[in-house]
Amino acid sequence: MPKDRETRMIVIAPSSAVTPDQVTRLIHGMSMEITIKETCYGAMIEGAHENVMKALEAARKLDPDRIFSKVRGFPIGDARRCRAHHGSRPGFTQLEKEWECLSLIEKGVCAARLGQKVCQRPRPKKIPVEQLRKIADEVSK
Amino acid sequence: MKVFIVPPNSLILFDLVERFGHEPLSLMGAIGDRVTNPEIESPPINVTLDDVKKGLKYAGIEVPSGIRGRLALWGPLVDQAEAAIIMEEAPFEFGCVGCHRTDEMVQYLIKKRRLPLLVVYYPTNEEEAKVLVARIKEFLEGLK
Repeated sequence: MPKDRETRMIVIAPSSAVTPDQVTRLIHGMSMEITIKETCYGAMIEGAHENVMKALEAARKLDPDRIFSKVRGFPIGDARRCRAHHGSRPGFTQLEKEWECLSLIEKGVCAARLGQKVCQRPRPKKIPVEQLRKIADEVSK
Repeated sequence: MKVFIVPPNSLILFDLVERFGHEPLSLMGAIGDRVTNPEIESPPINVTLDDVKKGLKYAGIEVPSGIRGRLALWGPLVDQAEAAIIMEEAPFEFGCVGCHRTDEMVQYLIKKRRLPLLVVYYPTNEEEAKVLVARIKEFLEGLK
């Protein structure tokens, strides 16, 4: 793949009303020289960096706070990763976990866009060693 | 500015860094350069012998080759970085789960370089998510 080419994943937050089909159709309709693949979480796009960013920008406009994106290492349909070729998919657990978390993150993105003030509560501290020892001693008695 | 993210394959951190106007340094970019290089065969042979030697810059010879191989990818990203964001207290399946020692070593390299660093915590509710995004936004805007 030439240096200026890029593969990107477009991930739609579970709380969004936008569907992967809508994203794919929108990008198809732009008639740019990029490859698009509809997936369960959104879409994958591949092409020249400039075109990919244009397509991403257009897709983001559908739901700016709930459409996320990251670069993908392997090209679309790469036999080493694509399930159609029985490739392994080691990054899927990570993607699944983050996809679940996006419904929380989008609230944060929305609050940041609106300039809402957030109050940061102090995080609970770890138990001191002495206290932990006391608990362990009580249990082991 | 170039911002290194930990875990380096995180969608959330990658997106937020880019959204707030900086360049995220991610593992996917480094992997992309390798897997599309016709000289490198399919996994698990996508780490070359040269990579393992490059890893020696970041970890001693007694360190397992797997860690050195990973550091050959992550180390140059840390060298390029001008700032870093680390997400802590995440569930075990979040991030690169292959080798925790590499994660620790990378965090050590970041701290050793004394880069502007932000440590955030994995959100478990809406309030924490708002705090996470607000802190990342504030940190990234402060870098400009």
